[in-house]
Order: sequence, then C-alpha cells, then structure tokens
Amino acid sequence: MKIAVKIGRALGGGAPFATVVCLVMYAVYAARAPSALSIFGITNVLNDAVVLAIGSAGLTLVILAGEFDLSGVGVIAIANVLVATTSGASGFGALGSLALVLAIGLLVGTVNGVLVAFFQLQSLAATIGTMIACEGVALLILPAPGGEVSDKIATGLTGDLAGVIPVALLILGGFAAAWFVFKRTSLGVAIYATGADAQAARLSGIDLRRTRLAAFMLAGLCYAFAGYMLSAETGTGDPRVSSALLLFMYAAVAIGGTSLSGGKGGVFGSLVGAGILTVLQKMLFALGVAEFYTNIFNGIVMIFALLFGNIVSSLAGPLRRQVAK
Amino acid sequence: MSAISLRQRLPEGLGIPLIVFASTAFLVAVIKLISPGSVLAQQIEAILVTAIFLVIASFGQGLAILLGGIDLSIGVVMGLAGMMISGLTNGADAALGWAVPATLASCAAIGVFNGLGIALAGIPPFIMTLASGSIFFGVGLGFTAGAAQRPVAPALQKLMSGHFFGLPLPVLLLAAFALAAMAFQNGSVEGRRLYAIGSNAKAARIVGLPIYPLTVAVYGISGLCAGIAGVLLAGYASAATLDMGDPFLMPTIAAVVIGGARVTGGRGLYLGTFAGALFLSVLETIITVLSLSQGLRDIIEGAIIVIALLLQTAPAKKRY
Repeated sequence: MKIAVKIGRALGGGAPFATVVCLVMYAVYAARAPSALSIFGITNVLNDAVVLAIGSAGLTLVILAGEFDLSGVGVIAIANVLVATTSGASGFGALGSLALVLAIGLLVGTVNGVLVAFFQLQSLAATIGTMIACEGVALLILPAPGGEVSDKIATGLTGDLAGVIPVALLILGGFAAAWFVFKRTSLGVAIYATGADAQAARLSGIDLRRTRLAAFMLAGLCYAFAGYMLSAETGTGDPRVSSALLLFMYAAVAIGGTSLSGGKGGVFGSLVGAGILTVLQKMLFALGVAEFYTNIFNGIVMIFALLFGNIVSSLAGPLRRQVAK
Repeated sequence: MSAISLRQRLPEGLGIPLIVFASTAFLVAVIKLISPGSVLAQQIEAILVTAIFLVIASFGQGLAILLGGIDLSIGVVMGLAGMMISGLTNGADAALGWAVPATLASCAAIGVFNGLGIALAGIPPFIMTLASGSIFFGVGLGFTAGAAQRPVAPALQKLMSGHFFGLPLPVLLLAAFALAAMAFQNGSVEGRRLYAIGSNAKAARIVGLPIYPLTVAVYGISGLCAGIAGVLLAGYASAATLDMGDPFLMPTIAAVVIGGARVTGGRGLYLGTFAGALFLSVLETIITVLSLSQGLRDIIEGAIIVIALLLQTAPAKKRY
C-alpha cells in the first residue's frame, strides 16, 4: 500500500486514474483499428496529442501558481503564422523561426506576468485582453490562412527516428522529464507554495511577484513551442486555427487532476489529460460514432474525470494520513 | 460634512462603475469626433440596441462570478436559444406563445444542471459549465444537423426594431432589465446572501445560509439570461446559428471584471457589470466605425481591456 501511495505521489495527484482511463480507451481504439498498435499509428496519435499536451503543460504552471491564463491560444496563433511565413528558404529557416517564436512567447508571457504580478490585475481578465490582442497580431501577420511551413519542420517533427521512436514521443518524454526535475527546483516549489497559500508562501520568504512572473514566462514559452508543433503538424498557417484549443487546454489540465484553484496537481497529469482527450476522439471515430456525439462525450468525460478525481482523493486522504503515522 | 455622509451612504465600490461610465461617455465622444457626420442620438440608440445582448447575458455571468464561480456555457446556451426559438416558431407568430416559455425553460434547465453539478457533485464551476457547454452543443448539433435554417417569428424581429413613444423597444427593455437586475443583486435579501457566500462560503454555511439552493438558482438564472439574450439576438439578426453566441462569452467575463468584480467572488455591483457591458459595446462600435482591419481591431480591443483594468486598480490601491 505504501508503494502504491508513493507511485501515486510520484505521478502527482489524479494522474494515475487518468493514465488508466487513457490506456483503456487506447485499448478499445486498438481493438477496432489494429493499425493503432503499429509504429505509424502510435506516431499518428502522438502527433495529434502533442500540441494540446505542450500547451496545457504551460497552462498548468500558471494554474499551479493560482492564476488563470487565456492568452495561450493567442500565442499559439502568432507562433503558427510566424512559422508559416518565416520558416521557408527566404526566411530564417527552421531554427531561426523557432528562436523567433520562443522569443514572442516569452514576451507575451512577460507582459502577462508583469500585469498580474506587478500591477495586481486579475489574471483571468488581463489575459482575455492579451489573448484578443495576440489574435489581432496573428491576423496582421497573416490575414487569411496560407503560408508554408518548411519541410524540415513539417516532416522532421512529425515522423519517427529510424522507424522506431516517434519524434513526438521524444518531445513529450522530454517535457515529462523536465517537469520531474523542475518541480523539485526552488522555483517549482515556490510555484506550488504560491498557489496553495500565497500568504503563507510570502511569510516563508518566497517572492510572490517573481514566482508569478516566472510561471507566466515559462507558460509563454510552452505555448510558443506548442504553436511551433502545430505548424509542423498542419504544414500551413491559419490565424484562427487555435481558438478551439482554449477550452481543450483547460479540460486537459482539469482531467489531469490539477486543481483550478492552484497549488495541487502537476504537468504530468495534464500531458495524460491531453492524451485522454485525443484518444477519446480516435476511439469514438473508430467506433463509428457520429461527430456531434464527440462533443457530448468530451463533456461527459470531463465531468466524470473530475468526479472520480474527487472520489479518489477523498479515499486517498485518510489513507495518506495513515501512512504518515 | 455632507460629502462624507454621502460617501458613507453610497454602497462600497461605487467608484469603479462611475469610472467605467465616464470612460464609456469618453468613448462616445470619440465616436462623435471620428465620424462628425453621424447624429449622436442615433449612434447612442444603435449602441444601446446592440448592447442589450451583452447586458442581459453578463448579469448571469456576474452572479456566477459573485459566488466565486463562472459560467462558460453562456455562449452555447445563447446559440441554442436562438436555434430553438427559430426552429419552434418557423416564421409564425402563433407559436410564440408556447415557444418562448419552452425555450427559456430549456435554457434555465441547462443552468440548473450546471448548478446541480457544482453544488451537489462538487465539480469546479469552470469545468462543469465548460463540460455542459460541450454536451449541449453536441445535443444542439444532433438536432439541427442537416436541417434547413428556419426563419424567426416576425413579432420578435418587430420587437427588436420597434419604437414606443419614440424610444426603441430594445432600449426600454434594456433599462427595465438593468433596474430589475440591480434590484435583485444589490437590493434584495437573496442578493446580500450571494455576497456573503461569495466572500466566505464557510462562514455562510455556519450561519445557515441555503448555499445549495442559491447556487442552483444562480446558475439557473444565468442559463435563463443567456436564453433571453439568445432569443433577442435571433430576433435582431432575424436568423440563428448554433455558434452565434460564442463571441459573447469572453465579453461577459470581461464586462463583469471591468465593472470591478473580483473573480474569486464576493465583490462587485451590478451597476459595474452594466457599465462594463455598455463600455465593451461602445468599444465594439467605435472599432467598427474606424473601419480598420480585423487584426488592428483586435489589438485595440485587447489593449483597451487591459488599460481599463489598469485604470480601475489605481484608485483601489490608494485606498489600502
């Protein structure tokens, strides 16, 4: 039992349950579409999941710090149109556009962070403003869908290495590994502490403003990279492509067991949450369910993930206390 | 002396709504500046007519936020209400008598569903309303997929374009709604209780306030308001689409927060929400008058929302 609790803790909050749900749905999907078990099928699913996963990973950092961030879709839109217009031979190339995109993400994250941490604006409202402004910038850069993403990005990031390991898996694995290191750093601990109880965190010597600013900046970087991956995925630019992502990002975070009031949960859960939402679409499609039912199932899965998360944590509560004794 | 007693008599937090009203008046003056040919009274009339959707929908959002929650299903419910009223009436006034109550009851039922999930099952409002929005959008898609679009009853269209004693009917409706909303949120016992729950749920529970029924009622009202806004929007546009409410979701939140409410609940007057909704509607008009590209419009709108928020934190800081 001790070991189970330890594993549960290592995975962070509601993640174990979410992981099981994800695997079960993948099994159903694979039973209907055997190609899901081939390297090609796995790469395909991972490519579909990676944008949402990285975006919601960034969002998780802000939510853990006890704030909201709606600007993610705006940053993803800017990143997408920038890659579509600058990654070609006449532009900055694959690495140049990556650097450009990350710089923009960092800039937007800094603006958000300064508004929230230093000017004390309510994050939900301030980031509505920056989200709308970012979408405007994306429309200025590329008013209509178009542009072209360089082949290096489009094929390089969506394929697999030597036909064995999908590139998307490496990226997701990298994020998960970075997270396990990051959450033990002093900044990681500060983010949890700030979200759990800002007053207590301040009294124990944590600089709340710097912590919040850092969370928004890191989130901005993640959104920008998510936008880069989205461009690799679609191979083209579309200033409006990301608006549907916003609510999915929040859904992934919540399904992954991160509390929207801050301080509880983790990035790993959000990666799994993104996986659940992606595999759910695949499973329903493989089962031949009509498209409008997918919306209904998305909603139901969200509610049930939260319900089971509540039940599991209320069961685990007394258990943990016993172990602590 | 009298100034002090006046300030004491004013409800707390009235400063922010007044600032927002002043900024709104400033924006109206800007409209006059940038298009000198326009008649100001007509401009204001047009702004008020189009503001009604946001004013009504953001009342529900304001109540949810007052409780420390949020309602993300408003956009979907507005679209559903529009689709339902046009589907049920199919261009005939005769059906309005039962179609309007049926539509509004369904919308309120969606709100009650949200409230039950939040109050009884303990699901965070953000997720509950997001999920129910997704679910009922799916239901709406299932009912309307492939069906031809139906015309809205002419009486509703007349309601949105008619006049009464020289004033447009929607403006009268807007005024009546704002007064009723203000009376509920800041004048009734139930309203006071919502503030109590929003600022400290634990204390409210100990005092014995009916938290669960009030939570369900608030989300029910929010669904109802979104329904009314959707029905009126369908009448105004004389047609309905399932996603026509989506552009209103973010502005409802922005209106409430610009009006001085705290996202964590317990603070904010309806007057503030009303001012925020008018402000955003004027902003929308001004940006349309400027005939800029959509990209520039968005940048200006986003920047002004942030500036409006910055302006209202300045006086708040001085107080503490």
